[in-house]
Amino acid sequence: MIMVDMLSAILVSGIVLGSGYALMASGLSLVWTTLGIFNFAHGVLMTLGAYVAWTISSGGGLGLGLAAGVAVTVAALIGAGILIERVVVRPFYDHRDILLITVMTTLAAMIFLQNGIQLIWGARLKQLAPIVPGTVQLWRTTISAQETLMIVLAPIVLAALWLFLSRSRIGRGIKAVGQNADAARLIGIDVSRLFIITFALSALLAGLTGVLLGSVRLLTPEFGSEPLVKALIIVIFGGLGSLGGTIAAAYLLGIIEATLTFFIGIYWTPSMIFLLLIVVLLFRPQGLLGKVVR
Amino acid sequence: MDALHNGKTWLIALLVITGLLVPIFVEDTYLRHLFIIAFVYGMVAASWDLTLGYAGIFNFAHIAFFGVGIYATGLTAKVLGVDPWMAMLIGGLAASAAAAIVALPIVRLKGVYVILVTFAFSQLVLQVVISQSSITGGTQGLVRVPTIWLPGYNFLRDYKLGYYYVAFGLLVATTVCLRCLVRSDFGLSIKALRDSEDYGVSRGIPIARQRLKALVASAFFTGMAGGFYVLYLRVASPEIFDFSTASLVLSMVLVGGTSSIYGPVFAALVLTFMSEGLANIDNFAEGRFMIVAVTMVVVLLFFPKGLASMLPNGFGEKTPEILLHRKRRIAGSTDHAE
Amino acid sequence: MSNNQNALQIVDLRAGYDASDVLHGMNLYVGANERVGLFGPNGHGKTTLLNTISHVIKPRAGRVCFMGEAIDGLAPQKIVARGLVHVPQANRLFPDMQIMETLELSAFTPRARAEMKANLDYVLELFPRLAERRRQQCKTLSGGERQMLSIGVGLMCAPRMLMLDEPTLGLSPKLKDELAEAIAEISSRGIPLLLVEQDIAFILSLVDRMYLVDHGEISREINRSAEVDHQEIMDMYFGSGAHDHG
Repeated sequence: MIMVDMLSAILVSGIVLGSGYALMASGLSLVWTTLGIFNFAHGVLMTLGAYVAWTISSGGGLGLGLAAGVAVTVAALIGAGILIERVVVRPFYDHRDILLITVMTTLAAMIFLQNGIQLIWGARLKQLAPIVPGTVQLWRTTISAQETLMIVLAPIVLAALWLFLSRSRIGRGIKAVGQNADAARLIGIDVSRLFIITFALSALLAGLTGVLLGSVRLLTPEFGSEPLVKALIIVIFGGLGSLGGTIAAAYLLGIIEATLTFFIGIYWTPSMIFLLLIVVLLFRPQGLLGKVVR
Repeated sequence: MDALHNGKTWLIALLVITGLLVPIFVEDTYLRHLFIIAFVYGMVAASWDLTLGYAGIFNFAHIAFFGVGIYATGLTAKVLGVDPWMAMLIGGLAASAAAAIVALPIVRLKGVYVILVTFAFSQLVLQVVISQSSITGGTQGLVRVPTIWLPGYNFLRDYKLGYYYVAFGLLVATTVCLRCLVRSDFGLSIKALRDSEDYGVSRGIPIARQRLKALVASAFFTGMAGGFYVLYLRVASPEIFDFSTASLVLSMVLVGGTSSIYGPVFAALVLTFMSEGLANIDNFAEGRFMIVAVTMVVVLLFFPKGLASMLPNGFGEKTPEILLHRKRRIAGSTDHAE
Repeated sequence: MSNNQNALQIVDLRAGYDASDVLHGMNLYVGANERVGLFGPNGHGKTTLLNTISHVIKPRAGRVCFMGEAIDGLAPQKIVARGLVHVPQANRLFPDMQIMETLELSAFTPRARAEMKANLDYVLELFPRLAERRRQQCKTLSGGERQMLSIGVGLMCAPRMLMLDEPTLGLSPKLKDELAEAIAEISSRGIPLLLVEQDIAFILSLVDRMYLVDHGEISREINRSAEVDHQEIMDMYFGSGAHDHG
């Protein structure tokens, strides 16, 4: 009996973690596969999403309710994504070392936004009201309804993303640009427009993660840092380049993390995960599930 | 060429003498403090240049190595009661050891993995420091670290004169060592690998070993700097691992120009004073880092060789390769246009 | 010679990479329904010329007119939308996409989408081999299949003129014949061609007129009616000592 309880606790919390990670990492992975850059501002976009939603919807802010909060957050995040692409990524497209340079410029964007958030909203802790209140029993484990919402919403959002990329004209264009931007240009694809769309979409995913996690965790300006690092680990695990690999790795990491936390405690878990990462890289440099990078 | 070389030697001698004379004219304790902090950042930035600039390793764990130095020194001095001077050396060695651990998986990997692993490592160190709060003080920080001593001299009652000279001495020693390193055969070989991996390998340069050495050496200097930093401040805080610290030092490397060693040292001096000056404006702690961020982007956009390249004497070398503006993949097909 | 009826008209076109100029003032035209060849050694600017026309690289000076309208300031996608389609040399295409996916995607501009069904049928009829391998990924295709797909992709863009860059690069004589037939068939539908080639026999079998390119300039124009013979071109081009280079 106790064994089953334990298994249930590990699995459920692993899937909750994995859902958040999958939403977060898919946005990062989308930008990587399409533009070949890593957006280190991805985490702070998540923070921004949560703060904007808080300001619009919460009693401590404007108190306009959930719907308004979501609407404004969507608009703000699309705007922020486009702005980042325009200001710190676009000028370097022709650069030979675009990867290294954009790591530095998106890092700068992250520092800028994170301190900007602190300047505007202050350091005081905030929390979003849960979208759905109450608790839910899953198998043998009780979790909040908000976490259940994440478990349900993540696969839906990711499936929608997958459908968009594989079925829609723009989505297919985004995939084509990622595989061969020059060939894409010659069949009439406006590559720079798709870059912007990709960035906006990725920012939107980060913001959504922020809104969902913002009622489970406390909001600080560094709210997005830890998820960003987890997302980085996931894309290494998943092998760079495929959305499917990234999503699988996200859930895998969630479950590994829950298992480790259960057995060795929250303090040593990050070190163990890092150790695991090093071992994986030593034996499979292309990632656990990945193919060789371009 | 000889005249130029001589000019440079004289200029360096002049700068060293100026550095030695500064405390005579600057008696204000706070200004001396800024100089000391600037010297520490100078060491960190210059040693980062060895891996990021010369070796072309996308190493973003440098600040973590600095932090390892800080905590290794602080803890051995405070908890184990090791002599502080010795603890400083231990700080450098611990940072080197950490670098060796990181180097293990990354020396053979492609750039993007190097970036990811080094970032992940930085966060790991932070997590360990925070989680082992019974030893490290956790988020509260490490306090009451013993400080350096000399027989018959009191470092705490000399208006920071002693600390100034120790920091300056360390900076000069670090700079000299780094310059010697990059001009040695070893330095040439890591540059060769950076500019053309295939060529370097074909000439028999052991790529993994050279990169490992570069990381270990660079970490040693930043670890020593961290050791001095904690002995001077007598406290350590996990805030040092923030992305903000990393971007501040990175901006020094970029502003100074990569592959020059001297550039980052001077940039550290200038930017520390600027950034501390801004920090003194009320309620502008955040604004200072926002300005640092803007500076980074502006430098990368308009001065890819660093602001130092604007100076007439050209302290930097001729080609700071990693940031030179080179066009890539202009077209899917090429005409082999020569 | 030139008039507004020409499909493509290029006047004093200059372009290059970084500090060096590759094209030093190119002048040429392609008439309506005409098949024109560009011949010359590697590295003399043929591919750069096509890249400049399709605006993958920006011209430094000069004019490019397509169907009587200037296009030298237009972005690549706008040029494709107008129907001037460039099939690049050794196109890797989209490695992880299947043949059918690639072809459908290539009808990207609104005009091409309107004609997608008809063009798809035409491509599959022209290259039955693509129809057999419709679920195969581009990266697994052989050189010949990839070349066919590249041309197919070009046709899916609903071209009003095609520019082909070395379609026979690295192909066997048998495949070259097949491709020559297909290209002749495409042009018989009234699509003007600008064909870059190194294989003189292949080019002579297809074109009405030919330009020789030398160090980024047109060094000579040859009318096919003049019946210039193969060896004569080689001699003219490389000098009579050409054989010594082996």
